[in-house]
Amino acid sequence: MRLKLATAMGVACLALSAPVSHAAPADGQAIFEGKDCVSCHYTDGPAREKTIEDQLAKTGPELWYAGDKFQEEWLVGWLADPQPIRPMKFGSLTEENPADHPALSGDESATVTEFLMSLVSGEVEAGTVKVKKNAKGRQIFTKKMPCSGCHEYAGRKGGVTGGRSGPSLAEAGVRLNPDWILAYLQKPTLFKPVKMMPVFVGLLSDKDMANVASYVGNFKPKK
Amino acid sequence: MKKITTIAALAGLSFNLLGAPVMASEPQAVYEFYCAQCHGLTGKGDGPNVTKDFPVSPRNFVDAAEMNKLSNADIKNVVLDGGPSAGKSPMMPPWGKTLTEEEVDGLVEYLRVLCACEGKQG
Ligand code: HEC
Ligand code: HEC
Ligand code: HEC
Repeated sequence: MRLKLATAMGVACLALSAPVSHAAPADGQAIFEGKDCVSCHYTDGPAREKTIEDQLAKTGPELWYAGDKFQEEWLVGWLADPQPIRPMKFGSLTEENPADHPALSGDESATVTEFLMSLVSGEVEAGTVKVKKNAKGRQIFTKKMPCSGCHEYAGRKGGVTGGRSGPSLAEAGVRLNPDWILAYLQKPTLFKPVKMMPVFVGLLSDKDMANVASYVGNFKPKK
Repeated sequence: MKKITTIAALAGLSFNLLGAPVMASEPQAVYEFYCAQCHGLTGKGDGPNVTKDFPVSPRNFVDAAEMNKLSNADIKNVVLDGGPSAGKSPMMPPWGKTLTEEEVDGLVEYLRVLCACEGKQG
């Protein structure tokens, strides 16, 4: 109930503030459309996928909650110099990521970032997850639950270890918003109703989800 | 090369399934989406997650001798509740909150197609 209300209010606020906000998100949207980013990414929620076939038909991840998910600084850098996030090619179990994502110029990337960061679900509470070397989170990620079976992360002896079917989490600490990681675990159908990752609601408590989000949110790229 | 064998194997499978068209492609789609990432598209336990770091081998579903040790109920339970519920590795995820009971029943049947075995009875 409270959530629904919050969403409704969030949407109302967005609708109200859209015309008066500065022009940048609209400029970014124009580039996003002009460069044909829309052919692989949709930017209006809610989630459209209802079946496995819907999910497999996509040619790129949905971006309608990009402002919840990403860290702004990472996004500006990545759009100008995109490096593989998913080890495997999008939607494939047999081909490697071809590392051929279109790149934007520095200026375009900043403008498109303003647009993407303006896209939010209204369902992510800010400031709930404190990132740290969370021992309980580590226990869950590497032992109790199969997270490490599908996600890469920094190995103890350098390099990366872990599974390859999910997005790499090795740089999650600079790429993802830790509050979104928690929301992603708590509200699996809101962001990704159909995905290869199991639903953990009812298997991990809210506290344990926060612990694992805190642990994953602390993954930093190797210098 | 690898791809060719996969395609050949899959073509073979679809062929088998075409012979018995009872809601065939659904469980196969479910298997390929959720299970193949570890157990492999053809069920040999060689999905892309199984690197040299992977701590235990996912069950090879093509191995009839191994698969005959499990009853259909054993399979259903481990799929719903995960490895630890059957004294196995937590790397086998619990799917009970993700899949419907109908989907899990379909998977049990599909694994029996892969192993071409009946399983432990009773
Ligand atoms: C041909 C399809 C295609 C086009 C066109 C395309 N993308 Fe992508 N995009 C992808 C795929 C596939 C990925 C996943 C890449 C990876 O995991 O390494 C991706 C990832 C992203 C991500 C990260 C999303 C996430 O959830 O990890 C952003 C942001 C993004 N693209 C923005 C853009 C922008 C901006 C443009 C236009 C300049 C664009 N894309 C054009 C296919 C496309
Ligand atoms: C069976 C494989 C599997 C398991 C187990 C798994 N994941 Fe995932 N995870 C995935 C896949 C695949 C995706 C991408 C889903 C999509 O976008 O379609 C994903 C996405 C994510 C994301 C979002 C990453 C991004 O950039 O979009 C996070 C965070 C995450 N998983 C954390 C976890 C945690 C924490 C656990 C354990 C509690 C876990 N995962 C267990 C496969 C898995
Ligand atoms: C993250 C990797 C992973 C995914 C995804 C996965 N499994 Fe497994 N599975 C395993 C591992 C590892 C084992 C072996 C566990 C052991 O021997 O301790 C296993 C074992 C099994 C077993 C044998 C259990 C026993 O008692 O011997 C069955 C049946 C099974 N999996 C079915 C499935 C089905 C069906 C799916 C898809 C819904 C699936 N698995 C998805 C990793 C996975």
